[in-house]
Amino acid sequence: MTSADPTRGTYFITEDDLRALTGELLGAGTEVIAPVALDVCASPSAIASSACLRPGVKPIDIEYRALESAAQLNLGSGLPVLSLKQYFLPEYEALCCWRQHGTEIEIEAVPTEFAPRVVLAAKPCDSAALAVVDKVMNWDYADELWNGRREATTIVNLACPVVDESCFCTAVGTAPDDAKGADALLTPVEGGFLMEATTDKGRALVEAHAARFTAEEGAGGAGARGRQAAEERAAARARAAANLEIDAASVRDWIDTHFEDPLLAALGVRCNGCGACSSVCPTCHCFDIVDEEEGIGKGTRRRCWDTCQAPTFTLHASGHNPRDSQNPRYRQRINHKFAIYPLKFGEVLCTGCGRCTRVCHAGQDLVEILQAIDIAARRREAVSP
Amino acid sequence: MSDTVTTEVPVYAGVAELRRIARELLDAGDVRVIIGWEHARRGARPVFITDAADADRLIFDARCVHNLVTYLNPRRDNVAELGKIGLVVKGCDAKAVAGLLREAQLTRDDVVLIGVRCGGVLEEAELPRAAPLGPENVAPRCFGCDNREPELVDHLLGESQPEPPRPLTTIDERVAALDAQPLEKRWAFWTEQFGRCVRCYACRQVCPLCVCERCVAEKSRPQWIEASPHPRGNLSWNITRALHLAGRCVDCGECERFCPVGIPLSLVNRKLQQIVAERYDYAVSDDPEHAAPIGDYRLDDKQEFIK
Repeated sequence: MTSADPTRGTYFITEDDLRALTGELLGAGTEVIAPVALDVCASPSAIASSACLRPGVKPIDIEYRALESAAQLNLGSGLPVLSLKQYFLPEYEALCCWRQHGTEIEIEAVPTEFAPRVVLAAKPCDSAALAVVDKVMNWDYADELWNGRREATTIVNLACPVVDESCFCTAVGTAPDDAKGADALLTPVEGGFLMEATTDKGRALVEAHAARFTAEEGAGGAGARGRQAAEERAAARARAAANLEIDAASVRDWIDTHFEDPLLAALGVRCNGCGACSSVCPTCHCFDIVDEEEGIGKGTRRRCWDTCQAPTFTLHASGHNPRDSQNPRYRQRINHKFAIYPLKFGEVLCTGCGRCTRVCHAGQDLVEILQAIDIAARRREAVSP
Repeated sequence: MSDTVTTEVPVYAGVAELRRIARELLDAGDVRVIIGWEHARRGARPVFITDAADADRLIFDARCVHNLVTYLNPRRDNVAELGKIGLVVKGCDAKAVAGLLREAQLTRDDVVLIGVRCGGVLEEAELPRAAPLGPENVAPRCFGCDNREPELVDHLLGESQPEPPRPLTTIDERVAALDAQPLEKRWAFWTEQFGRCVRCYACRQVCPLCVCERCVAEKSRPQWIEASPHPRGNLSWNITRALHLAGRCVDCGECERFCPVGIPLSLVNRKLQQIVAERYDYAVSDDPEHAAPIGDYRLDDKQEFIK
């Protein structure tokens, strides 16, 4: 077996070798985060799940987890319930601790450097989201905790076959085989995976485990396996495109100029304002900062996920609330993702994972909303000179 | 689109009547909006009909799980501004209307209630078509329902429906299984369940009876409940939510259905219902005159727990 030459682009790795590589990383004490299939019926929640009692296929939840063993690594196509965001912007984290000594306050900082870690088999929509959010995290202030985790992490994507009819990554500038925000991309092929390292971190991972990889014959994976990978990737892109095709630039400009349009102004009527969409969203990054006392004279300042769908998000100290009902709050969600952020940072704040639509039991459907806006935008273009 | 789909699937009788009444109410100006259910891309969902010409979008089948009474909640300014509401309710939903009336959050003339006779609903609304109800797919809360033909309504549609099937395990059986565990195991169970809470407050937002103008979870001076989703804050939030619904919860199951991390809130809610039934001989009904223990004081209330 020829070892990989990491200066070249594409390598082949068998599933056994990928698991062995995972084992090597874990053995060296490196944290490895990857999709894991959780047996819902083995957890205490099974008590409330009819699905666990009925015969046939049992429900499985896919979640990103820090692996305990290489065997846990799930290389299937399921979409994790929560995105990868939680490993870069945790649901809550300490910013500092304080302790009061009389009139003096002692502040204890939190570490902003992190041990190297690897994410395996990330969904392309989840890694792309990190690259999109990088922009705001380094806009007027470089967020040390976000950047520290980003720098410490090597991300290897797994090309996605497209999960269901709510996926629309290709409509918002990414793709099911994108390596955006990641350092390498795995594509399933006969007998294993093609691996393309796209950044120095990705190449370093290949180099460190060179014996596990073979250099793929033909530049750029032009061999039989390369052709198979290219075909399946193109088919996946076509599946995503069949779900939704919009002109993101027209949508952006239409939203920017139609703030009061009834289409945008009445979107929130069935929305419950629960913010579950923000929780599961890989790009929603807004947080609240709270001081939590732990006894007398000491406590922790934490930041935790917040959502523009909650009235308190914009509640002023005066009592005035500029977004005082769910209609403007839902419009804000659409406006921020598809107009404000693209105008400011040149990127749509959405990677088309579809989680918001799947999680919403009130039936808010981003695919349908984007389609409606796209139609309105095209109609306007058709009549303007 | 909804027509072609709904005609192929089992629907409750009364849909034609529902559409006719909706049209008449809108045409006569008796209401400005009918809130019911429609068939959309991902299945059944709430719909707001403001034009009589759209009344044929209304459906009623076993996917119509949502408790639409949440839209009567006084917090919903954007719904209220649509004008007088005609609301389609199942029996469980009508109990929530009674809850709002009982607590002076609504007056009866504010809303026209279109009741539907119900034979139970599915666990999920997001299905391409309704399936026949069976033990494996029926919403467990429907078993033993005592209000399948609501009385607190202006119109009652459809024909009498058969009793919902018994689910594979009932909620009472689930609660009993948990009750049979020793204290440490129950503590471990709930610690794990609440540990997953991301504090999105979906349970509160969708609850038709979470009507507080400002929730205790949002108070920061003093801070009663820690805001971060760590186990301690999560425990105090979830216990507060459950206790505030004791004797008020109508068992519509929406909090559990909306929970993005799958916390089995129906078990907490049912346990509290059992306690309220035992201590106050009270079961939530759609009779608004029947005062709930949380808003009622009686000299013979049990108080032996006060030591």
